[in-house]
Amino acid sequence: MNKYRKTYFLLTCAVVFMFFFSYMLVPLYDIFCEVTGLNGKTNISKAIVLNETPKNRFVKIQFTSNVAESAPFQFQPFKKEMIVEVGKIYNTSYLLTNKSTDIKHVTASPSVVPSQNAEYFKKIECFCFTEQKILGLTTESLPLQFIIDNKLPLETNTLILSYTLFNTTNQAGLK
Amino acid sequence: MNTNIDNVHDDHHHTPTGIMRWITTTNHKDIGTLYLWFSLLMFFIGGFMALIIRAELFEPGLQLVIPGFFNQMTTMHALIMIFGAVMPAFVGLANWQVPLMIGAPDMALPRLNNWSFWILPFAFTMMLSTLFFESGGPAAGWTLYPPLSLQGGDSMPFVILSIHMLGISSILGAINIIATILNMRAPGMTLMKLPMFIWTWLITAFLLIAAMPVLAGAITMLLTDRFFGTSFFTASGGGDPVMFQHIFWFFGHPEVYILILPAFGIVSTILPTFSRKKLFGYDSMVYATVSIALLSFIVWAHHMFTVGMPLAGEIFFMLTTMLIAVPTGVKVFNWVATMWQGSMTFETPMLFSIAFIILFTIGGFSGLMLAMTPADFQYHDTYFVVAHFHYVLVPGAVFAIIAAVYYWLPKWTGKMYDEGLGKLHFWLTTIFVNLTFFPQHFVGLAGMPRRIPDYPVQFADFNAISSIGAFGFGLSQLLFLYILYKTLKQNKTVEDKAWDGAEGLEWTLSSPPPYHSFETPPKIN
Amino acid sequence: MRKIVTLFAAIFPSITFAAWEVNMPRGVTPTSEIAYDIHMLMFWITVIIGILVFGVMIYSIIYHRKSVGYIPANFHESTKVEIIWTIIPFLILIGCAIPATKALIMMEDTSDASVTLKVTGYQWMWEYEYLEDGVNFFSKIDNESNKARRLNSGINVNKVDNYLRNVDNIVVLPTNTKVRILLTASDVIHAWWVPELGGKKDAIPGYINEMWLNIKKPGTYRGQCAELCGKDHAFMPIVVKAVPKIEFKKWVSIQKNNRVAKNK
Repeated sequence: MNKYRKTYFLLTCAVVFMFFFSYMLVPLYDIFCEVTGLNGKTNISKAIVLNETPKNRFVKIQFTSNVAESAPFQFQPFKKEMIVEVGKIYNTSYLLTNKSTDIKHVTASPSVVPSQNAEYFKKIECFCFTEQKILGLTTESLPLQFIIDNKLPLETNTLILSYTLFNTTNQAGLK
Repeated sequence: MNTNIDNVHDDHHHTPTGIMRWITTTNHKDIGTLYLWFSLLMFFIGGFMALIIRAELFEPGLQLVIPGFFNQMTTMHALIMIFGAVMPAFVGLANWQVPLMIGAPDMALPRLNNWSFWILPFAFTMMLSTLFFESGGPAAGWTLYPPLSLQGGDSMPFVILSIHMLGISSILGAINIIATILNMRAPGMTLMKLPMFIWTWLITAFLLIAAMPVLAGAITMLLTDRFFGTSFFTASGGGDPVMFQHIFWFFGHPEVYILILPAFGIVSTILPTFSRKKLFGYDSMVYATVSIALLSFIVWAHHMFTVGMPLAGEIFFMLTTMLIAVPTGVKVFNWVATMWQGSMTFETPMLFSIAFIILFTIGGFSGLMLAMTPADFQYHDTYFVVAHFHYVLVPGAVFAIIAAVYYWLPKWTGKMYDEGLGKLHFWLTTIFVNLTFFPQHFVGLAGMPRRIPDYPVQFADFNAISSIGAFGFGLSQLLFLYILYKTLKQNKTVEDKAWDGAEGLEWTLSSPPPYHSFETPPKIN
Repeated sequence: MRKIVTLFAAIFPSITFAAWEVNMPRGVTPTSEIAYDIHMLMFWITVIIGILVFGVMIYSIIYHRKSVGYIPANFHESTKVEIIWTIIPFLILIGCAIPATKALIMMEDTSDASVTLKVTGYQWMWEYEYLEDGVNFFSKIDNESNKARRLNSGINVNKVDNYLRNVDNIVVLPTNTKVRILLTASDVIHAWWVPELGGKKDAIPGYINEMWLNIKKPGTYRGQCAELCGKDHAFMPIVVKAVPKIEFKKWVSIQKNNRVAKNK
């Protein structure tokens, strides 16, 4: 009788467990993100919706854009700057032009500065991370609806939202 | 290098000779020898790359290489030196010394030990071969930051695979060392009686097991981002290049302590021998080493102060990085207290150890300056950082390795090296190492960034001095090669206790030691 | 003697340019000045500690040696001493941490800037956009440097004007104005750094970083990319010219007019 049989058995179980644990991580991460609210994306708050509480406090929002890797697009904010009232919903858009003749797929990635205040820039409807399809030589308007949360610290008077546009035409399954 | 394989013990033991001996050996002394020669070869290869770098940087303007190749040299120089020279050298020293110092016949897992070594030549052949690819070797820096590293050529999957292999070798080696130290000590050798070299290697082994898998994870994510459509590090898919940096440096910071802790152990062994006085504050030294190891896990983002971290993060990492200076300082004070009122002689191992203390401490000073985030914004990615880490690695880790070789060579081979030549090697090396790296502080402060093959003319003079120093340093190591050769071809001259102040179980064995080291466990008092 | 001087001058060509700079510039912004001050504080503290520690070592090396017949002492531990030389460094570090933390808070406060300059890093040049004014241009290494830097170009780089630190289109900024610098990149990570203006932040594709400057003295300040970004990482310089506010406004309107003229 091999006196190590129990040890071998337990060690094998540990290895098998580790293997399956890495598979379980996918649903586990989903649950974790849902519970803690950390979804890695900058606050797409569909839930908040239409709870406007205007605060008579005004801040400046600047909009800017980038096209990554010199892809064949023109991508500009419709308005470069807006003075907005905290707690009120606003609409604006970004204009995307496909300068090439083929159909392209693009993804826009947002970034807000100052980064510690990013959570207060709540996007109700946006085109963040969602892959868009655009026909050749076309211009489209990508809508953005947002509200600045009342809890924005008083020292901050300017927020800058930037979108970087990526050409994801040849990339596998982005949602 | 010969161990007493001929006056072997049992008849049933048919040990192969010639090349098969070295391929199939499970003997810790043979494997230690393999690691050490391998590491010496890699020092010369990595050193050769450094000389290409310094030759190009000798003057402003491009004279020797195109920028793309220069970037391959800086990348490979670091990968070779860290993973091919310093780490295998320490593992080689561990292999030789751990069983001898704890009174064991060999390592706990001798066959695994053999395999851990033999992975290395294959891994490095693969890594070095990428330099000959059409698209060249890796050129994104040894830190492999994406997106740059994701742009890179055909070399990338080969380099990633070879790093995986190196990681496996290190992890298996670490497991072996922990198992040996915890299970095979001679009776009476409690943990608080362990020699300092054993303590530091025990702690280093835990760091290796904790850190290397993290590197493996990071480079695997790079691989899948490049080839399998994932977006861990690309914003287009919702990922973040900075996340790579966090993961990499979570490995990378413990890694630099892996590169220095065994050196601390070596100095803690050599200093008492030549001071003829016990190590001051043994308990304190153990606790300080443990503190350094634990703290090393909460400082990583000091390599990333300019990525745009939140203020709270910047403050936290500044404070923890400053904190790690305290146990390190304690160790330096304890070494000085060991020397104080000792009766010192200055043989070559002692010279290298004293230089270690002074020059490593200077590296520590620049490290403390780098810890201060507001100042770091001016130091980051400049030659000031390059100067810092070369001071802690070259007159730090490498001097300790050289000191260890001089110190234990008589034990391993039964032959004494030429003391006059050893001292000459020491002085040449020390003078040239300072000539090479001290001026780099100045050009870094004056504004010269890292990883550039060409620079504005105001940096020319110190770069010229640094390059001269580098060539002097490189050539001085040929003297070391000669010293080894001269030592090995002598006839036996050395008794068991080669140094009169030496303490420790290894000095109770013959020089060279018997094939199975301690066949019966020694008594510890 | 002459031969030695000639040899020296041949090896160190800038001996006539007196470029033996050993320290960080104090610079012309509050950011650069505080960075310099913290740097010097730490420098002197480490020098003092070094003198003390190495002094003790050197004394010991001279007097506590076997060759002068010194007999080794027996002591090898002291809890009291260990506590003292743990606590004292710890207190020194606290003393350093306080000003450093204050400095950091000041450096990271980008609020209330009147000019916003967005910097985008490319392989291998910079794009600048003045957000309030809509001025936008690319800036890359100037032609003279670019020719001279080629492998075996045969051009003596010491004769090139501001070799590797000259560009075709310079950045103009107003003095005594809080300028907010936004950083991003188009392809890989770069970093925008002008030593005399202080502050360094990475330019990361897909993300925006920010820092601020307030340039106190007019002048021309030069820097370069400070994050490995590929083969021409060394060849993307930055030139900032700081001028009084009125001149800056004039420059902006000229740029705007040129643009309109170009777009017609």
